[in-house]
Order: sequence, then C-alpha cells, then structure tokens
Amino acid sequence: MRRRAAVASILASAGVILAGVQVGAAVTAARTPTATGTGSGSSNGGSTSGTGTSSGTSSGSTGSTGSTGAAKDGTFNGTTVQTPFGPMQVAAVISGGKLTDVKVLQRTNQGGRSIQISNQADPMLRNEVLQAQSANVSTIGGATYTSEGYLQSLQAALDQAGFAG
Amino acid sequence: MTIQNASRPAVSPSSAGQPSPQVRFRRRSAISDLLVVIAWVSGPVAASLYLASGGLADVKDLGSFFTALGIVTGLIGTDFILLMLVLAARVPVIDRAVGHDRAIGLHRQLGKPALYLILAHAGLLLIGYGASSGINPIAEIGPMLALPDMITAVVGTALLIAVVVTSLVAVRRKFPYEFWHVIHLLSYAAVLFALPHQLSIGGTLAEGTVQRVYWIGLYVVAIGAIVIFRFGVPLFRSWAHDIRVQQVEWIAPDVASIHLTGRDLRALGAGGGQFVIWRFWTAGTWWHSHPISLSALPTDRHARITVRVLGRGTRRLTTVKPGTRVSFAGPYGIFTDAARTSPKLAIVAAGIGITPARALLEGSQLARGEATVLVRSSTDDETFLWTEMRKLAEARGAQLFAMVGPRARNSWMSQHDASRGVTLRSIFPDLDRSDLYVCGPQAWAEAVVADARAAGLPEHQIHLESFEL
Repeated sequence: MRRRAAVASILASAGVILAGVQVGAAVTAARTPTATGTGSGSSNGGSTSGTGTSSGTSSGSTGSTGSTGAAKDGTFNGTTVQTPFGPMQVAAVISGGKLTDVKVLQRTNQGGRSIQISNQADPMLRNEVLQAQSANVSTIGGATYTSEGYLQSLQAALDQAGFAG
Repeated sequence: MTIQNASRPAVSPSSAGQPSPQVRFRRRSAISDLLVVIAWVSGPVAASLYLASGGLADVKDLGSFFTALGIVTGLIGTDFILLMLVLAARVPVIDRAVGHDRAIGLHRQLGKPALYLILAHAGLLLIGYGASSGINPIAEIGPMLALPDMITAVVGTALLIAVVVTSLVAVRRKFPYEFWHVIHLLSYAAVLFALPHQLSIGGTLAEGTVQRVYWIGLYVVAIGAIVIFRFGVPLFRSWAHDIRVQQVEWIAPDVASIHLTGRDLRALGAGGGQFVIWRFWTAGTWWHSHPISLSALPTDRHARITVRVLGRGTRRLTTVKPGTRVSFAGPYGIFTDAARTSPKLAIVAAGIGITPARALLEGSQLARGEATVLVRSSTDDETFLWTEMRKLAEARGAQLFAMVGPRARNSWMSQHDASRGVTLRSIFPDLDRSDLYVCGPQAWAEAVVADARAAGLPEHQIHLESFEL
C-alpha cells in the first residue's frame, strides 16, 4: 500500500511539473510579441504607439517645431508600458537633432526588489541609449522587464519626435 | 501461564452490519495513501505554479538562474512548513487515517529539510541578486535588508532556526519539556513574520496572480487547521463536557486511576485504546498537559484514566482534589478497533500498557474466539487492572494468558516461559491472520514488535503504543 502511495506521488509530481512547464512556455510565448514589437518599431519612423501590452497615449510636450534635421527638438513622453512589475514610462529629450537625455517618468514599482532593479538599470540604460543614439540596445542582465519597458517607451517617444538616429 | 479462560459466547455486537476488518483496512489505507500523495505533491505543485507563470523564461544568465532557484527553494520550504503545521494540527481525518504518532513522525522528519530549504532560499537569492547587480553575495546583504518586509523575514528565519535546533533530539534532552514547548510555539510567529515579504518582494506572488491566490489559500488552510483543531474544538469540548475530577484511586504502589465526571461523554466518540491530552486546573498542574490513555470506555457521566507516577509532573496529578476542573484535547490515536486489518485480534500488554489494551478489548466488536490476550508483568505488584481484564475477556469470548516473572535475557518474555520454548506463535497460533496490538514500556514493546517482524508478520498487522519510562 505504501508503494502505491509512492508511485502515485511520483507520477503526480512529474505530471504537475510537466504541466507547469507547458503552461509556462505558453505564457512566455504569449508575452514575446511585446518585446519584439519594440525592435521593429525603430525601423519605421511613423508613430506606432501602443504595441502588445503597452497602453496609454503618447503625447508630445513643449515641442518646438522646425529646427534643422528630421527630428523635432523638445521633450517627448513615451507610452506607458505595463511590465509584470508595474508601469514603465520615459521621456526623450531631443536637442539639436540629437538625443541628449532620457527622463524616467514612471518606474516599475511592484515589490521592493523591482524598484531596486530599476534604480540600478535606469542609469545604465540611459548611458547606453545616449551613446547609441537609439533605443536599439541590448537589455540589462537581471533587469529584463525593466529594460524592455524602458526601451519600448523610449522608442515610442523617439517615433513621436520623428527621430531616426 | 497462570490464567486461562474458557471461551464463552461473545456479547452481541451493538453496531451490527459493521464492515469486516479487511474492508475497513482497504478504505483506511486508500484515504491514508491519498493524504500521503497530497502531502508530497504539494511541493512540486509549488514549483509548477512558478514554472507556469513563466519562471523558466526569466532565466537568462547565471544570476537569474540562482534567483529562480532561490525562489523555488523558498516556495518548497514554505510548503513544507505549512505541511508541518497541518500535521501538528491534529486534524481528525489525518488522525483517523494514519494516527497521531505517524503524523507527528512526518512532522519531525520535515523540520530539517524545511529549514535547509529556507536557508538555501536566502543564500541563493543573495547570490542571484548580487550577480544581477554585479556585486558579491556578502555585499548584497545590505541592499537585501533594505527591501520592504525583509527585517521581519530575517526575524522569522531566526525563530525557525531556534525552533528546529531546540527540537534536535540531542539538544531537546538537555532542556525541560516546557522550555522546548515555549520555543516551539514561536514557530507560529516565524510563519507570520515570514509572510509579508513573500507577498511584497519579487513579484512572484504579485497581486492578481494565480500563485498569490493559491498560497493565500494554503496559509488559510494551515493556520485554519491549527486554530480550529488545536484550539477551537478542544476549548469548545472542554466547555461543553465540563469534566471534573471525581476521585483519585491508588491501584498499585505507583499507579493511580483518576475518575472523572462530565456531561454527555459518550458523544466524544472515544474508541477503546485512544488517549486524551489532559490539563488539570490546579495551581501546580495547569501549565503542563499530559497525554493519558483512557483505561475504560467513557459512559455518559463517567470516564477513567490510569497513570503511572514517573516524576514530579505525574506525582502532582495524583494529588488533585475532587471537583478540580479538567480541560482536554482529544480523543486521539488509532490504537483501536478502527485500525484492524485482519480477522483475528492478538493483544500483548505490560505494565501501564494494560490501560489502552483494556479499553481496546472493551471497545472491540468481537466474535467468540476472535481475540487472544497476553498480559505480562515482572512482579505481582504490576498486575493492576488484570482482574478487570479477565472479566472483560470472559464477556468478550476472548482467551487470556498471563505471564509473570523476571524478564529473560534478550527476550520480552519471562525467564520461565522463554526457557520452556514459548513463542509468539505458540501463544497466538493464528498470528498470521491476526492484528497484533502491543502496548507497554518502550524497550519491551519494541522487543515484542521485533519478535513479530522476525516471525514474518507484515507491518500493517502490527500496532504499537509505547510508553516512555
């Protein structure tokens, strides 16, 4: 009788774990388009706001039209991107046709740990995108969701400014 | 062998139509197996829910791998701790299926693994978080403690360490029972202290997730079981049955029967052979509870327990005055008719072990010749309750053997009987078709069980109730 319990426990455990892996794979697959949407967004200069799970509206502010180059100068708010750890939103500051600063308007806030991650990752991401003059940089290890949200929101802001790098 | 009764017709069974021992055994072991499976699979379920939420996809480098591993060890460790609470809660369905002893046995086994998992959880997350931030695990301690609810979690872990360490056999022996008990009560605090950080940090149990619902459910079940069965039911029953001491009766130089009166005691449904955890409300005894077997089936107004004086605690019990209020938890245990698996019944009892044996015989539905009883003692002083046992055996149509005399070397029998070739099989010719119930001092009872195993009796036909002496 005890062997019956042991066999049933092992089989049930294996089944439960397999089911978990299967569901996990499906959940991950459903989540992926959000991340890739960011990358494709950079190729077309149009204002494609709100891909995948991103929500909110992008609104330009204090835009002074008509300086040199294709991009408008000013501060442009990106879309608010929902991550599993809360909303992420940045604003791009463009001056003289160059990306000169990125300001974080909302950062992931669910759980103390994600605030810590965000605090660490934001300056690193800022450095990278200012250097690359693009939102097309790799994500920070250990801060995947924060990075994806950051870059996706930034891309929306750049699109709005007509900034193509 | 001094007493041998002629078999008489058995008393008519009061609950005719009760299924046979074999049928009851199959039902009980099905429930027991189901409980075992639920217990073990709860760990994988914890891991599976994490995987189902996309946990694997978060693993991108070594740091996030350690973080994921740290989360899973924390989840399974917590699952073990909640399981331990349920096992210690004296839930009726668990007690009836596997017995209080085995439930507490598993509870003890889980203690160390649970602690190791929780410590691994802390260590792995220090490594994982540290790697993500590019600092070593020691340097990560500062930022880690800055997280919300982290201080309470650390306090909870410290309490958990204290609880497990004081429960190690070697350590536990060095302290009085009360010290261990008070420390052990801190495990409730440990569980509650650890709870907030699980809900607030990391987002694994973030609001709106299936995992959050599942885990809150587990907490409700575990804490609910403790609140209801450890506190609620005993308090209510103690109040409703209003048990008081009627009289203390000495029946041997250091053995006393305590007669109790109460209301509607039959409604407790005590099976013969069960024990009850008693608390006598006098100045010297209220702070210590005693598990003591019923030495007779309760009637509506009367119950009786029999206790051997072993130390100060039990000595004080025998001085309680008539009218003393008594609270209790129970009855518990499956040293009863309910644990039967086979057509015949064999009972071996010695010393104070006679108490549950007597109640077991009294509470069993028996056909004529179904039961055989052996009572054993080294001296004539130890033959208390034997007269009652003989009368019961007569009434139940059971055979009774008595074995008196100093114990033989390497045997649980008397020198006289061991030397003339008496064996378990010669006493119980139907041993293979019998349930063997053994109760007496621990070392002696274990010798009987070892003898039964050597005789080839399967484990499920052996029922042991030992008394620490």
